[in-house]
Amino acid sequence: MSRLQVLKKLESTLENFLGQAVEPKKTSIEMRNSIDTLDNIAGESLRGRYISNQLTNWLSQNRFFLESDNINESEITKVANFLSNIKSGLDNSDPRSQELIKEIDNWRDKGVIPKRKLILKLKPKTGEKNLLKEFMDIVSRESLYINSGEFDNMHLLSVLDDILKSAELKEDRMFIHLAGSIIYYLKANGYKVDPFVKRLKEIEQKKLRETDVK
Amino acid sequence: MSSDSSEIRDKAIKALRNKEYAVASEIFKTTENQFADNIDFRILKEVTALLLAVKNEIYEIEKNDFIVEEIHTHGQETELRG
Repeated sequence: MSRLQVLKKLESTLENFLGQAVEPKKTSIEMRNSIDTLDNIAGESLRGRYISNQLTNWLSQNRFFLESDNINESEITKVANFLSNIKSGLDNSDPRSQELIKEIDNWRDKGVIPKRKLILKLKPKTGEKNLLKEFMDIVSRESLYINSGEFDNMHLLSVLDDILKSAELKEDRMFIHLAGSIIYYLKANGYKVDPFVKRLKEIEQKKLRETDVK
Repeated sequence: MSSDSSEIRDKAIKALRNKEYAVASEIFKTTENQFADNIDFRILKEVTALLLAVKNEIYEIEKNDFIVEEIHTHGQETELRG
């Protein structure tokens, strides 16, 4: 190969290199990878790590971010939010951080503007069940039932046996709940409760079957 | 990076996209200090300078290969042949 041919080949290689280096288009995969990288940088920033070098490189490598055909509104917003988070963590007194803050502001001026999701929460409708109120009612009724005098001087195991019988015969589900509470309390205090648990389960299944038939 | 730096950088990139390498090179030279920490920018600057040097070298070689002959045909017509 002659000297001229070598030079022409070098010329072509260098022109191709420069052409690709200033090519604004990135594939959507590259774009997503770029956004992931910025996400990582934002994460590092939140953990208080030094990210100036990483951010400088990212900004430089993504200078044609907005010119890409493969970028959509939600991705722009993502990037804007990451940059906004990173900016809030940069040290205003550090000259290099000041430069980066200016660059982030430039991106904002070009349309990379952070947006927050607005979440509206409705209060529960008045006609809906208020579980807390129902729970307070049942606990209150249980307390009145236990304090009615019927169980004075009885052992709690006997009280439980009596309540399980009521649970089996009566429709009021308060008895099932009360039995469950007493079983839990007894178990926590070292009593063997397996037979009572078995009885309670049988009663619950029977009640469920009855509900299905109705 | 200030908005001025950003503008200058955009101009240099635009010149490279338009294959105006001499223009880009001038911008790189005048803003060298502003982008001293920017590796990407420095690579573009060096590659552009190298490309211009290669182009100059090619020009020099091709210029020397270009021979102008004066040919007389039947002693009347004059034709320049490259």
